Parts: sequence; C-alpha cells; structure tokens
Amino acid sequence: MLSRRVSRLSAIVAAAALYCAQVDVVTATGVRTVAASIYPVPAAVSLSVSDVQKVLAQAIAEAKARALPADIVVVDRVGNVLAAYQMTGALKYIKTPFTGAAADAVDLENLKIANGDVPAAIAKAITAAYLSSGGNAFSTRTASMIVQQHFPPTTPPTDLEGGPLFGVQFSQLPCSDIMQRYVAGGTTIGPHRSPLGFSADPGGFPLYKSGALVGGVGVMADGVYGYDTNVLNVDKDAEEAIALAATTGYAAPTTVTADRVSINGTTLRFSDTRTSDLKSKPASAPPFSSLPASTGALVAVNGYYQSSFGIRAGQVFDTEASGIRKSTTAEFNNPDGFILTDGTGHNRFPAEAGTDAGQVTSPLTTVEVSGLLGQAFGVMSHARAGIRNPLGSRAQVSISVVDTNGTVLGIVRAPDAPVFGIDVSVQKARTVAFFSGKHAASDFSADADRDLFRHPTPPSPAIVPSFVGAFRSFLNDQTQLTGKTAFAARSIANLSRPFFPDGEEGLPNGPLSRPLAVAPKNWSVFATGLQTALILDNIASGSNTVAQCTALPNTSTGKNRLANGIQIFSGAVPIYRGSTLVGGIGVSGDGIDQDDMISFLGLYNASVALKQSIAEAPVGIRADRIVIPVHGSPVRLRYVNCPVAPFVDSSQQNVCDGK
Amino acid sequence: MAAGADAHTAKPDISVIHAENPVIDTKLDKGFSIILADADDDTIGAPGERRQPGRPRTFPQHSEQNNPGAIEAPPPEAFPADQIPVPDRWRLAQTLDVKTNWWDPYNQNVLKGDEPVFGTQDLFLSLTGILDSVVEPRSFPVPVGVQTTQRPGSLDVFGEPTSLFLSETAIVGASLFKGSTAFKPPDFEARIALALNYNFTTAPERLILNIRPTAGLTRSDGFPGVQEAFVEFHLRDLSDRYDFDAIRIGVQPFSTDFRGFLFQDNQLGVRLFGDRDDNRYQYNLAAFARLEKDTNSGLNDITRLRRDYIFTANFYAQDFPVVGFTSQGTVTYNMNREDGKIHFDDNGFPVRPALIGDDRPREYDVVYLGYNGDGHFGRINLTASAYGALGEDRNNVFTDMPAQIRAFFFAAEPSYDFDWLRVRLSTLYASGDGNPYDNTEHGFDAIFENPQFAGSDTSYFIRQAIPFVGGGRAVSLTGRNGELIDLRSSKDEGQSNFSNPGTILLGLGADADVTPEIRLTGNINHIWFDRMAVVEALRQQAPISSDFGMDYSLALIWRPNMNQNLVFRTSFAILDPGAGFSELFSTSTRDKLFYSGLVNAILTF
Repeated sequence: MLSRRVSRLSAIVAAAALYCAQVDVVTATGVRTVAASIYPVPAAVSLSVSDVQKVLAQAIAEAKARALPADIVVVDRVGNVLAAYQMTGALKYIKTPFTGAAADAVDLENLKIANGDVPAAIAKAITAAYLSSGGNAFSTRTASMIVQQHFPPTTPPTDLEGGPLFGVQFSQLPCSDIMQRYVAGGTTIGPHRSPLGFSADPGGFPLYKSGALVGGVGVMADGVYGYDTNVLNVDKDAEEAIALAATTGYAAPTTVTADRVSINGTTLRFSDTRTSDLKSKPASAPPFSSLPASTGALVAVNGYYQSSFGIRAGQVFDTEASGIRKSTTAEFNNPDGFILTDGTGHNRFPAEAGTDAGQVTSPLTTVEVSGLLGQAFGVMSHARAGIRNPLGSRAQVSISVVDTNGTVLGIVRAPDAPVFGIDVSVQKARTVAFFSGKHAASDFSADADRDLFRHPTPPSPAIVPSFVGAFRSFLNDQTQLTGKTAFAARSIANLSRPFFPDGEEGLPNGPLSRPLAVAPKNWSVFATGLQTALILDNIASGSNTVAQCTALPNTSTGKNRLANGIQIFSGAVPIYRGSTLVGGIGVSGDGIDQDDMISFLGLYNASVALKQSIAEAPVGIRADRIVIPVHGSPVRLRYVNCPVAPFVDSSQQNVCDGK
Repeated sequence: MAAGADAHTAKPDISVIHAENPVIDTKLDKGFSIILADADDDTIGAPGERRQPGRPRTFPQHSEQNNPGAIEAPPPEAFPADQIPVPDRWRLAQTLDVKTNWWDPYNQNVLKGDEPVFGTQDLFLSLTGILDSVVEPRSFPVPVGVQTTQRPGSLDVFGEPTSLFLSETAIVGASLFKGSTAFKPPDFEARIALALNYNFTTAPERLILNIRPTAGLTRSDGFPGVQEAFVEFHLRDLSDRYDFDAIRIGVQPFSTDFRGFLFQDNQLGVRLFGDRDDNRYQYNLAAFARLEKDTNSGLNDITRLRRDYIFTANFYAQDFPVVGFTSQGTVTYNMNREDGKIHFDDNGFPVRPALIGDDRPREYDVVYLGYNGDGHFGRINLTASAYGALGEDRNNVFTDMPAQIRAFFFAAEPSYDFDWLRVRLSTLYASGDGNPYDNTEHGFDAIFENPQFAGSDTSYFIRQAIPFVGGGRAVSLTGRNGELIDLRSSKDEGQSNFSNPGTILLGLGADADVTPEIRLTGNINHIWFDRMAVVEALRQQAPISSDFGMDYSLALIWRPNMNQNLVFRTSFAILDPGAGFSELFSTSTRDKLFYSGLVNAILTF
C-alpha cells in the first residue's frame, strides 16, 4: 500500500516535472522542436550467448519432462535469430487449422507446411519480441486474443467488436520492403522480417533483462499452428509451458505483463500456464553444454538463420548495430526521436519529398513531412499510453508518412515503442493512401495473384480483382475506389470484418473480408480476405520471395503501392492538400485509439503550423459520411476514434471533435 | 399503502404494498418515510390539533364544571334490554348504515379485506391494483458506438449525453387470508401479485440500448413479472398476545435491514419468522434461490432461476439500547455458483461474468455480518447500518486466482425535527480495494441493494447508472437505484464485485412538510471514490482524483388526499462532476453538468 502510494505520488511528480520540462517550439516552417527529453531510453542490455544457451536448456528440460520434442527459437528485440534449435523427434511440419468443411478452406487455412515448424517457432519468438516493450509484455497468447472477430474471443460468441489488432498477423511479412533480411554471416541490422508474419499460437514469450526487453522465445512442438478461440477457459498448452520454462530468469516483470493491461476494461491474456504447471525445474535444468548430441541440434532456416555460425548474441536495442538508433538533430529534431538506421550511420527513412510528382500537382515537401512527423511525435509525447505500464505512462509509437505511391517519406519512433509498429505504421499509411487514392480499383483489378498454395499450376482465376466489385456493390457506388472518399484506417477496418457492422453475429461480411455468418463461412485469422489474398502468393513462394508483397502494378518508383501489404486496423489517416490526396500518415505501437489520435491530431496540428498547406481530408469526403443500410438500419463508417482521457498532462476529453 | 422508493420505477418493489405483514413490513415502513414522512406521528393528538415537534403542547385552560340544573345520566336499567342483531363485528359499520363503495379503497371495502368474503366469518380477500407511471429525462456520459456512430464527425469516444426513459407498470395483486385482520396474526395467507411493465427508452448513441450496432436509438419492451406468489402458515401462538411463529413459502418480499442496503427484493424463498415477548423481539430465518430478473423491466422471471442463493438470519430487539430505538443483528450468506456459461441480458450484453478484468466466469461465497438500528435517541432520530463482508472469490478478475473478500460498510442518517422541517445528515462509507493484485478484495458490494437513503431515487448518484466508459464495456460505475460504486454489469443480473473502488458519501438533506398534502425534499450529497487503484487499472489511466462530485436534488411529493392512494412525485437532480469524474469522463462545456429528472404518478387501489 505504501509503495503504491509512493509510486503514485512519484508518478504525479514525474508527470509534472516532465510537463514543465517539455517546451514545444514550433518554428516558422512548422518544425516542432522540443527542449528536453521526456522518455527514458531502454537499458543497454542484451542476450549473451550464455543467456541464449540457458533459455534453450530450460526449454529443452521442460520439453523432455513432457516427452514432447520441440523446436525452440530465441531472437533479440530486432528479430535477429540467435538460435534455432530442433530437438530430435520434433514434428517437421505445421498444420493450420480450419473448423469448417475442408472444401471451404481458403488462403492459409487447412495447410500442412513441410518444414514449417522452425519458421513457426521464429514467428512466435518474433511476435513476442516485437509486440512487447519495456512497458508491456505481450505473448503470442496475447496476440491470439486481439486478432479475432470479437474482443475478447469467447464461446459462445458475443456481439462485441473485433480484436483491436485485427489483421496484425499479416505484418512483418517475409516480403515486406521495410523489414530487413538476414544476410548469411552478415548484418545484424533489424528489424527483421518474420517467416510467417505474426503468430497467435501460444508458445511465444518476450525475454527481459534488468526490466528491459531483450528478445523473445518461440516454441513449436505439437504441429498445430493455431490460436485460442475461447479465452474464458484455461487453455493448458504444452508449447506454452515449454516456452514459459524457457523464460525463467528472463521473465517479463509482473508489473508489465499483458494481464496488467486493460483494453476497455478487459485485461489481456499473457499466459494460461503458470510456473506451478511446469513439469521440470527450469532453474536447475541441465546446462546446454552438457546436453548429449542426441538431444537435438541447431538448424538452418534459409533467409533467417545460419546454424553453422552457432548461437549468436543479441544486439543492444536502440544502437546502430540493432538498426534502430537515436536520431541526430539534423535527422529529426526531437531529443526523444529514434530512427531506423542501416548500420553505417545512415537514416533508412529520412524525411523527404513525395515521389508522386506525376500523379499529384504538388507532392509533399520535405519540410511538410518533417513538420508532420514532428507534430505527430508531439501529440504522442502527451498521449496517455493505452497499453503501457506503469499507469500514467506516455504512449510510444512508430510514425510513418508515405506518398500516394506508397513510398515511405519518413519514419520516426519513440525509444521504447514496440518494434512491430514500424512495419505496421507503414502498412497503415499505405492502406489509407491507397484506398483514398485514384488507383485503387485499377491496381486491384490488375493484380494477378492466383493462390499458389492451392493452384500451383495455372490456369486459375486471379483472386484480388473480385474485391473491387464487392466493395463497389457494398457501398452501392460503382465509382468507388477512384479517389472520391477519404478512408481512414478505421474505415477500412470497418469494411474488413467478417460481420458488418463489426461484431454483429449473424450478419454478412464487409466487402474486404471473408464471411463467417454466411456460406462458405471461411473467415479465420489465416484468411482475413483481401489482406491475405494480396500477399498469399508471396508467402507461398518461400523465404526467397521478393521484397514486395503484392502483385499490384508498379509505379514510377519501380515498386507497387502496397509493398508490405495492407493493414486492417485503426491508426492512420490520409493527407490532403486542399481536396487533393498527397499521402498518408500511419501510427502503430500503442492502443488503436491512441494510434488514431496521434495520426489524426498530428496531421491537424501540422496543418495549423503549416498554415493549411497540408490538411485533414475535407469533412465532406470522409468515410464517416458513408452510410450503408443493413436490414433497414443505417450503418455509418467511422473515421477515427480518439481515446478517452487522451493526455497525461491535461483532463481534456474529445480532443478530435470538430477537427 | 405506498410502495417503496422503487415502486415508482420500472422495477417495482411491491414488498411494501402490504401493511398486514406483521414483521418485516414494520421495518419497511421506515423505507417509505421518505415518501410518507411519519404520518402517524403527525396525526396523534387532540382532534384538530397536530402535535408538532419542537413546539410545546398547548392545553385548554383548566375550568371548573358548574352546571346548575343539569340532569344526571339515566341508570342502565333505563335502556331497552333487547339487543340489536349484528352478523359479525366486521359488519358493524354496515349495520350502522355506513355506505361503502367497491371502488373506494380507502374506506371500508370488502375487496380490501375489511370484511370477510363468501359469507364467512374469518376469510378475507384483499385486492390491490397499482398504476405506476414514470417519465424520466436524464443525461450521463455516453460513448459513441465503437463500430458505427449515429452521426458523422464523431471522432472521439464521448457522444451526446441525453436520454429519456418512460415506464408504465400495472400491478394487480390478491391476498386471501384467514384470521381476524388486525386483531391477531392470520392463520393462513395466500398472496399473488403480478406486474405488467412496458418501458420505452431513447438513447443518443448506438450500442447503449443494445449490443448490436444495427439496433436503433429507441427501445421498447414489456414484461409480465411475478412479484409475489406465496403461502403463509401460522404455525403456533406462544402467548395471549399472539407472539407467534409462521412460515412463508414462495416469492415474497424481504429486506435484510431497514434501508435496503444489502438485500431488498421479492425473491423465491422460504422464511420462518415470528416474535416473542409481546413483539419486543422478532426474528427471521430465510433461504432464497434468486429468480432471474427481466433486463429492461427489472421484474421477476419465474421461468429462470439463478445459481445464486441467500441464507439469512436476523434478530430484532425493540427499545434496545434505549426506548424508541430498534436494534437488529443479522448474518447473511450469499452463495454464488454462476461460473458456468456466459449469461447475456435481453439486450445482448454479456452480464455474467462482467466484461471486466480477465472476463472469466467466477463464483463466490460471502458472509455478511451486520448490525442495523433504527429509531431515536431522545430528539435525535437515527438510522444506521454496519456490515462486514467476509468470504472468498474463486476467481479474482485481476489475478485469475482465488481471493479473500474483506470489506465493510457503514451508513448512518441522523436527523432532527424542527416543527414541520426534518433535517438529515447522511453518511456512508463502503470500503474500496486499494490493490487489485494482492488477492484480497476490499471493495464492499451488496447482494441487491435498494437504498432508501440520501434522497434515494431522486438523487442523481443513486438513481442513474453511469457507464464505465473506457473501463468496462457493459459495466457501470454505479448501478441504477444503487449507492455503491461497485463496477457491476447490472444490479439485477450481474454478480457482486468486490474489486471495486468503494464509496464515500456525505450529505445534508431536509424534508419539509409544507402542507399535509405537500412535502418538499432537498438533498446535497458529496460523493468520493474510496480507492482509485481498481478504476485506474481498468482505465489504464493514473492518477485519477477520488472526487466523484456533488449531487443536488429537489423533490416534490403531492398526496392530494393525504393518503397513499394518489401520490404524485416530481424531482430533479444535478450531478456536478468532481475532479475524478471529470478525469474519467467528458468535461466539455456542453455536458459539464448531468441531470436526472423524474415525474412519477402512483395510483393505488
């Protein structure tokens, strides 16, 4: 009690001090400069080789105690695979689930993927490492809870809305142009791609040292790469037990685990397995070096890990070698700003002007982009974190700006923002710029993806173009997807759910989703709809796939507009100059309402600072003017939803109202 | 007789309709002192003269009788010896040619149990009919729909705040009893009361009235509820003055205390009760299996039984510790076994388990040890309640582990009468949970409270359920007609929640009997949260101030005939949010203040 009071008092004092210390200055060009740092930088710690060995040994002991040979992968916070270990006898495949009739399965459902087991373990380790931060520890079970058609997912189902990170499983994709690839024997620069995107299969946990996130561990053992559809029961999962044992000594502080994070009053699941459920004593597990060769071996994964290099040490986060570092004043003039780096000191995504001169009269300028990034960063610096502890923390996110070509014009982030937000913020920014732009219908119609998983040999029909017709019919407007409407990420999310409106059981799907209530009832986290259709063939083409996720036509930049796929949850708005679309701003890493607000208010503040040279979408063309009748009831799309109690340093509410 | 506070709502509590109940209704009378004042106090005294508190009685001057020429009264022998035949004592008035009307419930009426029926000597039928109409405009912090909004440009969480609630309840009841009415406890009674409710509600935003986004901004619903259905047997008399034991089986009214702080409801149960020592001591032993409540009317649904049980024992001692004060000790055990599948209310919201914390189903055992007192110490009136709640919650929603329940509650309302004006001080403390993660739950919650306290349903705080926007979907800070900030999904259908912030209330009130027909009541309550940790954890927001706000209310009660057959009430209350409320909810200029209005007519036969 005493400590609680003290911590609360100190939080107040700290908040007051921070507020006083932070002096925002907006220059004539709209560039926001801030005098003092308000975010602590994560402790400079990392996983050593012996740490990794210990994690592996603890997992192996638990797997042995359960007589369940497992694949165990340890990654650092930026996705370097430090070890991929396959126990002798481990199942060398994964199967993705599908509960309906096999003939109805689509996309990534109901697949058996040979040698998918180690990649699945990598995906689990990366999921935990990327979703977590010093302020929130999320596991793959957490991921499972926030990507399904209802939040929380329950049996029987409720009519509640979908998970807040609905669709995030299709991020960090192997085809992403943002995420780094492993170069044999080479770079440690992250953040790295994941072979299967994000995993919702329990058995992935983050790893911590000295309260700082240093990586993640993923375990694959039972051959089923699934997710938990009912959080009300206690799901005893052997993979989770093995992974939990692995975290012994590296466990997340209990003050930041997902079960201390409340989304609208519902706390998230971290683990259904408790340490008391373990069948081994992890702390006294036989040392890795003592294990007989028959136990198992490190295994290579093409494009991710080279076993001949042995177990590697992790990188210290927020350093040049990790691929994420503090920005210089010239790069981004904020003492808390961090950027992506290439390992040789170069900002991978510096603020720059738009590349779409042939498409728009006046593309975004460098000044506008840096001003926008700065304003959004400023909103973030005051925003109450939706997913971080201790309570009263400020949000930490990644912020991306793209032009109408989908070219990234700049990325900045807070020092401890979850890593997943880098790729996702770009996905979101591209998604809103794309759907609000004039090329959407023509680009989709030209997409030749054919589902190589099920139709490895042509001819087979293209799977993307049909979404154009569905979208237009649904909105009862055959001229849709030609740039007439400003779609925010939340608007696209509304249209990408298996029920429309979101969550209402028994109703048909949104036009960008697979259905759940009507035949063929084949929506699942492995088949979300357009999102999966766009990237399916790249996933199918294996780890050497090109760094471009979709088969849309290329722009003048030589890349297509959705090069890392679309994202279908909130946190981005399109950018306009007058009534002309010039790009999108995407935000990811905190609660979705916070992500919405940081993008929306960031743009609003930038438009004020820049004297309306760039601005929000005109009110009249925003997607929340679109009403779709469902059984006679008008269902309006949403634009953004700014959070309750948005700022830590004021009691303002409804801060986006009227903007 | 009048109904208790709640009879004027969609959730009629007709437990207090019947004055005949020899034990409990005596206690419940205190409940409608809020409506009725102490009518009996006011009517005692010389004819034509009201005894008025604080004012000395004035007597006529002493006078010597001196009547010269007066005639002495005749001796008894002077009267005729032949008797006037009277069929039974109930019909004396008729014999004396008093006219009665079947439609007049106030004067002698065979339909109201004033005379035996069917030509019998001791079988009585009493019919009751109540028409209860409510018009309730109100405002509260309302979130816009998450999935879809009513209006374009809804870019934030908080939407329009205003709502209108209309409710019409018809209650018909019949009681058949054998005995001598007021002269001794009945030998047998069978009673039934059916309530038919129709309600209509408007909401300013989607997803308030129904979980389905396609549902509109109005909702109308109706439900027939069984509010009483019991038989009572008089087991034995223990003295010449009819100290007795009796048993009552079926849906029946019960209250664990004088003001409805813990459990006041009409529920299915068995109750053994009686009195001793010329009614100085009274006792109740009761067990209830709770009926499910219909969501929108609050009436009993006899087709569905909850897995929630109440076992209670209490003992009343009159004139203890002082003459004029009644003390009661009680032990109540609430056994909840509702950890099965999700229970959805009629509007589609999952209410058991509540959408709070880990959302997992849970069950609990809690024992309430209580002391309650009601009466006066000299000129100071006092009603007081104290409860300790001890038990175990099988699943703490913050830790997913079993947790101890250790909570307590105290409320006292001293008052003082100045002539026609009663001034009241209301104090209440319900402990809150200061650490949601320590597996001890310190938040006090009741079973089914119906507080007649601090302004009752005319108070904003007690009347309105405030959605815990951003901290719990389908969860309210306070329940409707409840005084506890307990974060329940529903007072009617939800489970008790002991991980709550707790409540502190300090209030000043006055009841003014402006005329015998008109009472004006005003209340000013200041409300605080006790501990903020639970609220902060659920809102992912800290620090949050503990000041809930000020609640100002004014109520007018008009009883044109000075009885309970026609009662008209109107009230208006304003919540002026405190810092904590503002930090949680909207503080824009538009809805800086929230209001609760009530127009209520109760016509009783």
